[in-house]
Amino acid sequence: MDALGHLLSGFAAALSLHYLLYAFAGCILGTLIGVLPGLGPAAGTAILIPLTFSLDPTGAIIMLSAIYYGAMYGGTITSVLINVPGEAASVVTCIDGHQMARQGRAGSALGIAAIGSFVGGTLATVALVVVAMPLATLALKFGPAEFFALMVAGLCLVVGLAGKNILAALLMTVIGLLLSLIGLDPVRGAPRFTFGVEELFDGIGFVPVVMGLFGVAELLLAAETRQTHMIQAELKSWMPTRQECKDCIGAILRGTGVGFVLGLIPGVGAIVPTFMAYVLEKRVSKTPERFGKGAIEGVASAETANNAYANAAMVPLLALGIPSSPTIAVLMGAFIINGIQPGPFLFAEQPKLVWTVIASFFVGNVLLLILNLPLVGLWAKLLKIPFSYMCAGVLIFCVIGAYGLKQSLFDVWVMLGFGIIGYLLRKLDFPIAPAILALILGPMMEKSLRTTLEISGGSFAIFLDRPVALVLLAIPVIVIGFLLFKPRSLAPLRESDVD
Amino acid sequence: MLIRRRTLLAASAAATVASPAIAQNYPRRAVQLVVAFPPGGSTDVGARILAAMAEKDFGQPITVVNKAGAGGQIGFTEIARARPDGYTLGFLNLPGMNTITLDPERKAAFTIDSFIPIVNQVLDPGFIWAKGDSPYKTLADLVDAAKKNPGKISACTTGILSDDHLAILMVQEAAKCEFRIVHFDGGAQQLTGVLGGHVDVAFDNVGSVFKRVGTGEILGLAVTDTQRSKFLPQIPTTPELGMPSVISNSTRGVGAPKGTPADICKIVETAFLKAINSAEMKEKMDAVGLALKPMVGAEYAKYYADLQAQAKKYTEWALKMR
Repeated sequence: MDALGHLLSGFAAALSLHYLLYAFAGCILGTLIGVLPGLGPAAGTAILIPLTFSLDPTGAIIMLSAIYYGAMYGGTITSVLINVPGEAASVVTCIDGHQMARQGRAGSALGIAAIGSFVGGTLATVALVVVAMPLATLALKFGPAEFFALMVAGLCLVVGLAGKNILAALLMTVIGLLLSLIGLDPVRGAPRFTFGVEELFDGIGFVPVVMGLFGVAELLLAAETRQTHMIQAELKSWMPTRQECKDCIGAILRGTGVGFVLGLIPGVGAIVPTFMAYVLEKRVSKTPERFGKGAIEGVASAETANNAYANAAMVPLLALGIPSSPTIAVLMGAFIINGIQPGPFLFAEQPKLVWTVIASFFVGNVLLLILNLPLVGLWAKLLKIPFSYMCAGVLIFCVIGAYGLKQSLFDVWVMLGFGIIGYLLRKLDFPIAPAILALILGPMMEKSLRTTLEISGGSFAIFLDRPVALVLLAIPVIVIGFLLFKPRSLAPLRESDVD
Repeated sequence: MLIRRRTLLAASAAATVASPAIAQNYPRRAVQLVVAFPPGGSTDVGARILAAMAEKDFGQPITVVNKAGAGGQIGFTEIARARPDGYTLGFLNLPGMNTITLDPERKAAFTIDSFIPIVNQVLDPGFIWAKGDSPYKTLADLVDAAKKNPGKISACTTGILSDDHLAILMVQEAAKCEFRIVHFDGGAQQLTGVLGGHVDVAFDNVGSVFKRVGTGEILGLAVTDTQRSKFLPQIPTTPELGMPSVISNSTRGVGAPKGTPADICKIVETAFLKAINSAEMKEKMDAVGLALKPMVGAEYAKYYADLQAQAKKYTEWALKMR
C-alpha cells in the first residue's frame, strides 16, 4: 500500500469513537497544562504518562500527542489575557496578543491563534506525510557547527531587524547572554557566577524570568494607573473579522514555513521559530510600526509557527528516533514504554500504527480548533473580573506557577525580582524580547560552539569547511553591514520595535 | 560525667523502644521519591514505573518528584538534606553521584556517605558503538586507529565525568591510546552526532540504542560489562576482547538520607524489591531496554563502596587532564 492508502486506513482507525475520545481528553488536559505557567508541555506530558499505561499503544500515543498539541495552544490564552506566557513558545504571542486584548480585541487574538495553530499544524502534518524520510536524513547533516551558526544568525536577525533603538536591543541581548552564563559550565561542570547558591547551578530559570518580566511587570504597571479592570477597553470582538483573517493569510503561511523548517532541526526548541516568524512578518509588513502595538499578524505568525514547529518536530522523532526537544523526548519515552521504537524502521515495521497516529495528528488539530473557538468568548470574559481580584489572582497564579516548576521557592523570588526589573525596563522603554531570546539561546550557542571546537580539536577553521554553517554565519554579517552602511533604506523598520 | 552517660543510655534505650513504634506506623502518609533528573529521562521512566507498582504493597502513595539540574547535583543535595524519617527517598544514580562528590570544583554539599543505599533497580551496561558503515568494525579496529592517530578519532560522551566519559578513560588506559573526547548533553545528541558523521564513535549505554543494532543503522563494538547484555547477546564484552579492566555501567537504585531508621529502610526494601522482581516490571523495563539488577543489603553496599573507589581513580585522572 502506498502512503495515501495507509493514511486513509489510519483515518478509519483514528476516527473510531474511543480514539476520538482519547484525543479529545488529551486536548483538554493539554490545554490545562498550557494554561498553567510552570507546568510546561514536557513536565505535563511526563506526569500524565502513567495515565496511558492502561490504554492500548495507539490510544496512548494519540492521547499523549493530543496533550502535547493542547499544551502548545493553551499557553496562548494566558499570554493574550494577562501577559503571562503559559509556556516558552508563547512569549512572542504576549508582544502583540496582550496589546490586542488591551484594545478590546482579545477575542480576535485568541481566535486567530486557534485558526493559525490549526492551519500550521495541519499543513505541517501534510508535509510530514510527504517528505518525512528524505528531510529527516538531511537534518542529520546539521551538526554542532551548523547549529551554532543558526543560533548566531537567529540572534543577530532578531536584534538587527527589530529594534527602533539598535543600541538598546544590543545592550539587552548582552545582558541576556551574561545572565545565561550563570550556572554550571556546560562542558567542565564547574559552577560559574553562582556564589555558592546551589539553586543557581542550573542557571537562572527561564520560565520564572519570563513570568516576572511579562506577567508581574504588567501587574505593577497596571497597579499604577488605579484602573477598575485589568483591561479598560470595551470588548469589541469575539472573533477575528473577515478582514483580519484576510490580513493574516500571508502571516499564517509564512509562519507555517518557518515553523516547519526549524522543526526539522533537532534541538532548536519551540521559541526560536516563533521569534523568527515574528521578525519575518514584521520585515515583510508594509506597516511594521503596528507591531508591538497589537498587530494581529504578529499573533498569527507566532502561533502558527509554534504549532507547525510542534508537528514538524515529529519528523526527526518518527523517521530517525531523535527527540528534538525535551517534550518530544518525553513523548519518545512514552512511545517506547508502549512498545513502539521510533526510528527509520518504524514506518516499515508498524505501518498501521504510525499512520493511525499521523491521522490522529490531523484529528487532534481539528478537535483543538472545535474545542477552542467556542471557548474564546468564555476566556475573554475573564477580563471582566474587577482589577483588584484579577490582580491578586494573577499574582497567585504566577507564584504557584513559578513554585510548581521545580517545587522551589527560589524560583518564586527570581520571578518577583525580575518582575521589578521588568517594570523598570518598561518604564525606561528598553526592549525585553532580545534579552529573553539571548537567555534561551546563550547556553545553546555556548555549548554548540564548544562541542564544535572539541570536534575540530580547537580549530575555528571548521566553520570554513562547512558550507551550511558558513552561509548561516554570513547572513548576520551582511545584515549588520547593511544596517551600518545603508541606514536610510531601513528607516521605516526602525520606527518600531519587537517589544 | 556519670549523669551524662546515664542520660545517653536512657536516650538510646528510648530510641530502641521508639523506633519499632515508628516502623509500625510507617508509612502513615505519602512518600516522596526524589529523581535528580527531568521527567521523561530513563531514570524518571524507571522511577515512575517502580513507584506505580511499589505503592500497591506500600499502602501509601509514592510520589515521584523531579528535582533536576546540575547533572543530578540539585536532586542529590535535596535527598541528602531531607529529614531522615522515611518520607523522603530518592534515586541514587551511580557513578554520576560519585563523580560529583569527587570533583572539588563542584563543591557538593553531600558525600557518598550521606545516603543509605536500600535497593538497586537498574544496571545499564556501557556500550561502544559506531555508525553502520563505519570503517571501525571492531573494538580492535577502533583502538588501532586511535593508536595510529593519537587524538584524531573523536569519541563522544553524554557529559563530563559521566559513566561514558569514565569508560573512554578506561579504554585509553587499557589500550594505551588517545581519543578526541567530545562531550554531548545526552543520547539524542550522540545519535545526531554519530549518524550525521560529525563524531566517529559513541560511548553510550545499552538501553538507549539497543534496538538500532540489529537494523544495521549502528554497529555495536563492545559492551563494557562482565557479562553479555541480554538485549545484545551478539555483542562481545570488553573482558572477552582482552580489556578486563574496562567495566563501566550506570546503575540506579533507591536510597534514603543518612540517619533513616534501619527498620524503615527494611520496609522500603521489602516493598520495592517485590515490585522490582514482579513480572509486570520486567515486561515494562524490557520494552525500554533497561536491565533489572536487584541488589539489596550487603551486596548493594559493597557495589556502592567499590564503585566509589573506581570512580575516584578515573575522576582524578580526568581532572588532571583538564
